[in-house]
Amino acid sequence: MTTATAPDDPHRTTGDGSGTAGAGVAAGPFGALREQLTDAAATFAGSADALAGILAGIVDDVDRALGERLEIFPVCHHSPASALAMVRRLRHKQPKVIYLELCEDLQPLLGELRNCRLPVAVQAFASELDGFPAEWGPLSVVAPVTEASAEYQAIAYALETPGVELVLVDRSTDHVFQWSPRDDAGPAGATGPTDDAGPTDGTGPAAVTASTGGAGEQAALHGDAVGVEIGDLRPRFAELEAYLLHHGKVRHWSEWWDQYVERPLAGADHDTYRQVMVLIGSLFRRLRPAGSDRTERDEDRERYMWTRMREHLAASGADPADCLYVCGAFHAASRVAQFGLDSPAPDFAITPRTGTRWRYGLIPSSHSAIEAQFGLAPGSVSIAAATWTKAVSGSGLTPFRLDGQRGGKGRGRRKVAAVAAPTGPMADRLSGFLAAPPPLDGLDEAELRGWCVDIVRLARRNGYLASTADAIAVFETSILLAGLRNRARPTPYDFADAAVTCIEKDVVPGRRDVRRLCEILLGGDRIGQVGYDALPPLARDVLDRLQPLGLDLEKRTIGRALLDLHATPALTGCSDLLWMLRHLLPADAVRPIMGERRLGHRSIQESWDLALGRHQRALIELGYEGVTVEQVLEQRLRRAVRGTDATAAGALAAVEDAIRLLNSPRLVDELGARAVELLATERTVDDAPEVLRRIRRLLAHHRATAPALPAWCEAFVTTGYAHYCTLLPTAFVEEETGVRQVGAMLGFLFSMESLALSLGCDRSQLELAVAQSHPESPAKVALLWAARHQLGLLPLAELRERCAELLANPLVVPAFPRYLSGFVHALEPVPGLAPFVVETMSTAFARLPDPVLLPWLPTLITTLREHGPELVPLLVREAARTFPGTLPELDAWVPPWLAPAPTPTPSAVRVGPVGQVHTLLAAHPAAVEAVAALLGCDGGWSTPQATPAGPSESALVAAHPDTVEAVAALLGGG
Amino acid sequence: MSEMLRAPAEVKYADELDYLESVDTGPKPFSWRLSPRMVRLFVLGSERADGLEREIPQKWFGDRSFVERSIVTLASDRGLLLIGDPGTGKSWLAELLSAAICRNSTLVVQGTAGTTEDHIKYSWNVSMVIAKGQSRESMIPSPIMTAMEQGVVGRFEELTRSTSDVQDALISILSEKYVSIPELNDDNIVFAQPGFSIIATANSRDRGVNDLSSALKRRFNFVRIPVVTNKRSEAEIVRFRTEELLRRHRIELDVPPTLLDILLQSFADLRAAAASATSDDEKLESALSTAEQIGVLEDAILHSQFFGDRTLRVETLAGSLMGSLARRNPEDLAILNKYLHGVVEPRAKQNGEGWAGFLDGGRQAIASLS
Repeated sequence: MTTATAPDDPHRTTGDGSGTAGAGVAAGPFGALREQLTDAAATFAGSADALAGILAGIVDDVDRALGERLEIFPVCHHSPASALAMVRRLRHKQPKVIYLELCEDLQPLLGELRNCRLPVAVQAFASELDGFPAEWGPLSVVAPVTEASAEYQAIAYALETPGVELVLVDRSTDHVFQWSPRDDAGPAGATGPTDDAGPTDGTGPAAVTASTGGAGEQAALHGDAVGVEIGDLRPRFAELEAYLLHHGKVRHWSEWWDQYVERPLAGADHDTYRQVMVLIGSLFRRLRPAGSDRTERDEDRERYMWTRMREHLAASGADPADCLYVCGAFHAASRVAQFGLDSPAPDFAITPRTGTRWRYGLIPSSHSAIEAQFGLAPGSVSIAAATWTKAVSGSGLTPFRLDGQRGGKGRGRRKVAAVAAPTGPMADRLSGFLAAPPPLDGLDEAELRGWCVDIVRLARRNGYLASTADAIAVFETSILLAGLRNRARPTPYDFADAAVTCIEKDVVPGRRDVRRLCEILLGGDRIGQVGYDALPPLARDVLDRLQPLGLDLEKRTIGRALLDLHATPALTGCSDLLWMLRHLLPADAVRPIMGERRLGHRSIQESWDLALGRHQRALIELGYEGVTVEQVLEQRLRRAVRGTDATAAGALAAVEDAIRLLNSPRLVDELGARAVELLATERTVDDAPEVLRRIRRLLAHHRATAPALPAWCEAFVTTGYAHYCTLLPTAFVEEETGVRQVGAMLGFLFSMESLALSLGCDRSQLELAVAQSHPESPAKVALLWAARHQLGLLPLAELRERCAELLANPLVVPAFPRYLSGFVHALEPVPGLAPFVVETMSTAFARLPDPVLLPWLPTLITTLREHGPELVPLLVREAARTFPGTLPELDAWVPPWLAPAPTPTPSAVRVGPVGQVHTLLAAHPAAVEAVAALLGCDGGWSTPQATPAGPSESALVAAHPDTVEAVAALLGGG
Repeated sequence: MSEMLRAPAEVKYADELDYLESVDTGPKPFSWRLSPRMVRLFVLGSERADGLEREIPQKWFGDRSFVERSIVTLASDRGLLLIGDPGTGKSWLAELLSAAICRNSTLVVQGTAGTTEDHIKYSWNVSMVIAKGQSRESMIPSPIMTAMEQGVVGRFEELTRSTSDVQDALISILSEKYVSIPELNDDNIVFAQPGFSIIATANSRDRGVNDLSSALKRRFNFVRIPVVTNKRSEAEIVRFRTEELLRRHRIELDVPPTLLDILLQSFADLRAAAASATSDDEKLESALSTAEQIGVLEDAILHSQFFGDRTLRVETLAGSLMGSLARRNPEDLAILNKYLHGVVEPRAKQNGEGWAGFLDGGRQAIASLS
């Protein structure tokens, strides 16, 4: 035990008026026990130094905590025994002020608990950080509240009893992060698995963050928030815990606690309860790694709490005898100088909060989320809840309950009846507790029998071949196992083991194994829900606006909403909102089944799967960002384009979303302008394919919907033209830049060319850029050839010739497939090249040697599928046009590129019949002659045969003379 | 007692069992020789807190709850079926349990495709039947029937290897707890004495060869023994078994700890590779169990003892590892080759300690195998 032992605090207040005694002084109610322990230490350790210091110190701690004027009530989280003792004490003492170890800024939220179904978590959330490293954001702290907890009892008592004040005294959520070490990646990393791996701190930012992997949806309810909890009591280093588990012959901490503390204390009187809890707190406090950050944080928190309590007492003038301080047992055994109302130590200097704006709310929690967050065994919180219910009904106590609390049975009672208080001097209850094994409950046969019958029924329903014989076997095995493990009555854990042994065979037939069924049986996971009134404005607004759908959105099931926007145009608002939520919430929360919203496209009918009840946390957290969904979306889109890692493609996506979801031209212009800026400053062309795809779509949309292109679009095209022209030579040479990227750049340049030129760009830019490009890799060379072909610098015949040369050269043949890849990518910028690509590919298939061709084929297919799925249809269509469609045709088929080119003969020129057209052209020969000269056609004018116009034409013209007459009038031809 | 190549657990640990029996004050079910807690202590070893004068070493390494569940099952009405991958210590646990409970772990039926109902119930001494007719004297009881008569634990190894109708002979034994002998006119029922139970083992890889009928499944409690993946306990097991082995062969040989590390690490790597494989061809045929590791080490030790210079070398270890794991010619060899090339080679370059030799030995072995 090298890491243990905490040296006594030098500022310790010994020998004060409250009866606290120093080590070794056999005085006070615990004198005999202290002596006994010191003797034991001397016997077992050989010397009375370290061990005796610890053992006697523990007794001192108990003595000191219980002698304090302000009554300290030590609690442990998820402990029904704590909750029961709390109920008893509150009924008995009826304090006027309750100090609770919980972040002080969470106080206003507690009243909202009555609108919720527990368990829920009180959350503080901040996304705009001030005074914290930006990479920590967003900050989130959750404090889950369950019904079977001492703190809920205290809260319910204080809020429901007139004249009782509840004061939260722990440091604010802001301080949680202020006190986190700065040198780490983030607060979660700093407080997570480093020094606090196994055991977790109660209210420090220490709880291990909830793991989402494999823990299931319920377990991930808290997201990545830092958990705070009242009264975590667990060994602070792994060896001690392992030791306790090993010797307690239990598997995990929850089981140990249940067996050795929870059950013996369930019916204990107030004194015993307090003494034992402080004893355990003190033990874990004294056996902890010395000098860790966490120890310092804990002590600072204790100083903070005592300072706050003294401040409150001074300000309110309350009598300390009417007050109750509820804190974790760990803090009850505190040794800081500020401990105690009579301590002479100066108040702790509380630092001001940072400028971070915290937002508060309630989010749903669940037993499994709490277990995952605080590293408890699966099912332990559910078992605690079941134990609580049973203990309440068994003890005849009436627990406190917030008025109007949802869920559970209404057991609340407002009037608190005073119970006669047996007052007297403090007596030593520890000796008895430590010396004798606690009187355990006898076997509750009826309960166990009930479990056995129920588990068999549940197993049968889940596909197991279980029968009454199994129920009997489970019963027998539970008792035998408990006997083997030294327990008088089987615990739920024994029962679960027995059920697994007897019912589970070689395979699990359904979704759930027997252990999971046992968890369900013993209470199951309970998922809380935040009521409508406790929701933030945004969430309420969403629920209100979705009201017309007629679904109960607070339910945890998936609801199907059908929107016929044609029949009920009033639902358009719902549809808009759903699309926005689709963008903002996790994918499962709102899922379109039918209907889509693309640029310029809205479905007439939509159907949605809505699971907002299940994703309440996401909706609530959205509420911290703004008041309406529109506002949040706008902010998010702005943030997306303003961030340090924003890209032009991302900005274009944001523009698209803004058009699709918000329809706000102002925002679209702003985002578009930002996209232009981003494009101009980009130094890589990695996103070129994405940029091309998006800008094409946006241009098409604007052309179709508006008379003129918006200014940012024009700016984007001209900037992009110049930008890609500049980068083209480098992109051709650089190895990192892929063929696909260069292809997309060329695609941008060629397909936007006419628009860019009309907006004042210069074509010579592009010609220069192509002239400066000297690629080396075969694929890019092919691309360059294609580009030059498009620019008219490389005729098709020459291109064909070059390919033939490549194929003829045995040294280049192995590289030919890569040339071909380049040509395939060139289909994007130069679609006119398709016949040539098909031709080249066919030639390659025909002429490439097998060792080159065969390894390349799969690569071709995968490359096409991955990088150019949009090019495949083009290629296939062209191939279908080129190749014969039936087998007989194949026999006679000659590839078009091998077929002798038909020589045009003048006689082939068909001379049409003389009609009005001919007359017209003959009357105005200039245009025709100019075209003929340009095309190099010098056949001259042929004299037409005078044939009358066909009957059909003349009949048609005669029947509808208007067009002809109008044309004639226009040409003045008469 | 004359020398045995491998003594059964009750002989090997007779001293310990005697001692435990002498100090055992706990309640014992039926005719058990030890109380359940002492059985657990015998299997899992003692601690200071148990307050025994003599230290009982741990013999089976695994989760405590598996042992507890097994013991409790034996004290109940049902048979115990240990199921798991080959080499996870099922049979060893069965042997330890029956040795501790009734001091007899030798009443074993080995399930094979050729096992018949006679092997489970009884058969006849043909010459005696011809000479004297059918009687209890001329009957040859099976180990299971003997266990019934004596009220001890009978074992059935590899239950799923035997055919379904043979397996089903166990149903009546497990529920009615008697076997009737219709061939005899009187004294024709053998009743099980209190304390009788059955421990069967089944290989989870062979499941489906002859699946258990649901009637039989119902009469067994299944305890699934997983492959040990915890490196510390695995090291413990390998060390424990190797020592035993060296003692048995009377070999004076040192197994250096670095070598043991290499062995464990290589198995851990190969298991990880098998876990991420998508098809059976990318997976070694071997289950990569702890027993396999012991086998590899044993092979290497014997090789160095008899053909080497009596020191265990890493090259030898690599050779026997490749030799025992390469079972299918192209597939397994390819996987091992890939492992050597992709994992061992970089490691050998990085920290040469041992791994370079491992690489050489492995390559030689693969070269000679392929």
